[in-house]
Amino acid sequence: MLNARHFRYIIILAVCGLIIGTWGMGARLLYGHKYMDYGSFVPWGLWVAFDLFFLGLTAGAYIVTILVYGFRVKLFAALGPLSVFALLVTLLCEGIIISLDLGHPLRIYRFFLSPNFGSMLFWLVAFIVAMWAIYLWTFFLLLREQLTVWSQDEGKPGHKIYRLLAGGRTTYTDADRVRDHRRVRILSYISMPVGLLFFGMHGAVFAILLNRPLWNGAMTPFLFIMAALLSGGALITFLTYLFHPRDELVQPLGKVVLGLLATFLFLEALQFFVGYQSKVPNFVTSLNLIAFGPFWWAFWILHLFIGSAIPMYILITKPHDTRAVAWACFLVLITFFAVRLNYLIPDLAVYKLEGLQNTFFSHRLRTDYVPNINEWLVSIWVLSLGILTFFLGMRWLPVEAAGIEEEEHV
Amino acid sequence: MALAAKELPQEDALVRMQRDLKRALQKKPQDIKWGMVIDIAKCIGCHACTIGCVAENKLPPGVVYRVVLEEETGHYPQVRRRFVPRPCLHCQNPPCTKACPVTATWKTEQGVVIVDYNRCIGCRYCLVACPYSARTSDFAEWYTDQTPDLAGKLVGRKAAANGYEAHPAAEYGKKWPERDHDSPVGNARKCHFCLHRLKVGMLPACTTTCIGRATIFGDRSDPQSLVSEMIGSPRVFRLKEELGTLPSVYYLK
Repeated sequence: MLNARHFRYIIILAVCGLIIGTWGMGARLLYGHKYMDYGSFVPWGLWVAFDLFFLGLTAGAYIVTILVYGFRVKLFAALGPLSVFALLVTLLCEGIIISLDLGHPLRIYRFFLSPNFGSMLFWLVAFIVAMWAIYLWTFFLLLREQLTVWSQDEGKPGHKIYRLLAGGRTTYTDADRVRDHRRVRILSYISMPVGLLFFGMHGAVFAILLNRPLWNGAMTPFLFIMAALLSGGALITFLTYLFHPRDELVQPLGKVVLGLLATFLFLEALQFFVGYQSKVPNFVTSLNLIAFGPFWWAFWILHLFIGSAIPMYILITKPHDTRAVAWACFLVLITFFAVRLNYLIPDLAVYKLEGLQNTFFSHRLRTDYVPNINEWLVSIWVLSLGILTFFLGMRWLPVEAAGIEEEEHV
Repeated sequence: MALAAKELPQEDALVRMQRDLKRALQKKPQDIKWGMVIDIAKCIGCHACTIGCVAENKLPPGVVYRVVLEEETGHYPQVRRRFVPRPCLHCQNPPCTKACPVTATWKTEQGVVIVDYNRCIGCRYCLVACPYSARTSDFAEWYTDQTPDLAGKLVGRKAAANGYEAHPAAEYGKKWPERDHDSPVGNARKCHFCLHRLKVGMLPACTTTCIGRATIFGDRSDPQSLVSEMIGSPRVFRLKEELGTLPSVYYLK
């Protein structure tokens, strides 16, 4: 449960993160990728792992909004606006970090000017834009009533800004509410296939690469969808505990997370089994790197022990302890980044041609990638910005107020 | 004696390739299909092609278009080494061009996979998609990065850089701006079969620098060319053929 003291600490922490991260941001903005440690053989590093992490986090909110507005599950109605806001903030973080990863971020308009409809990456970006459009509009519709109310309160600081955000509206009738919720429902229906394709495309970017045995295969998009649902579900459960600490909300979400965790671990085990049984050298090398490579601890300790075994134990033994359930989900959430990083790097870290390691000596042409301090600082900056945006948004925007009595309107 | 004298005067492969090139350039551009054959039995691993390519294209640190793979097989005393030069293989079914989200890289009608530096956003998806690791990214590094700065026009970092690497090569036959933060910095870069040289009737730098004449270049659609003759050899193979990328660079065992 979030009280004023916790809120203050979180804001201070996020501001500190922003200040510390400025060093890395300076290095990135002034010198490009020169002082980052990824290279040409491991071209995607920490920032792409964070990108995957952020994209995955949106899935929990996606499911909640579909349940609430698509299927009218009143139980989670109070979480509707909160979920949509969480989704937008994670998409914002994703957008910033992946833009920083581009060699020429200012050419992002090229996606629209000269698109390659055969590229999975193009479609991923197209679906990201579609998700932005759907959820930004949904957010506006869900908050419009409260924004109008706040804009009419002359004593409220910034009431003119709220009027602007409400589109200049001064009154909000019951008919408006019905119409806005109908629109939200339509947007929710549209988001169903768009979201599924979005999460699937996310995996397809990797799955289509024939030269990457760890990624290549039809199971990868499914694994990505499950990973997204698990991490996103854990995020929403934890946020629910912070902002709506009601047993009847947190506990069912905990059960869902438990099911997703078990399914994800099963799929992961399946991937290891298939990989080791296939005996394809590059595949086996990648799996060995995950389990026994220099970052074995990220897999065994962070992911399997702290991020899976402990949460699973808690979720099985204490399903009626709301606080325990929330913290179990928090463990899944914070350790899930290790899963993303440990999935991304090992396939890249295998030389694709024999003898390539002895050809040309440059730190950019090596596979032993370890993120450097600048990369971490930029990531901290983006993460802090996300946390700050979310918590200040929760205070300055009527997100919580919009969730009150929402079950009557869905 | 008479037999030896008869065998000795042979035409240098370069002369024939030059003649083939001249003939190819008289064809319509769309009728040319550039190709390369590398005879690994002739490659001695001198890396002259790598250096020639780096010099020709003024490649910065960490960017390399043509490497020479060194493979060691067997156990002492039966140890063998072989050298496999690896330029971009200019696949006829290239996975890299399909990956590019903004159509910044494509296969020309002459079968050469090229990059539009002004369109590339630097996402590096093509680097991930290439099965041969033939693409590298330009991370804005300079050979003179560690050179101390000194005032003057003759010595110091700036003077050293101005003498060579500050002025990019005329890749793709274009005049690129002085090396700074703009393209090709931040782009994916790769071998382009020295298109700028071909345009003026010169063979690629790697071909002319190959002292063992292990690299043969030419129009593979011309049945009279040396490269076509070599492609017909029973010793011919292509790298990772099982992927179906259909490289335009062939190897002779």
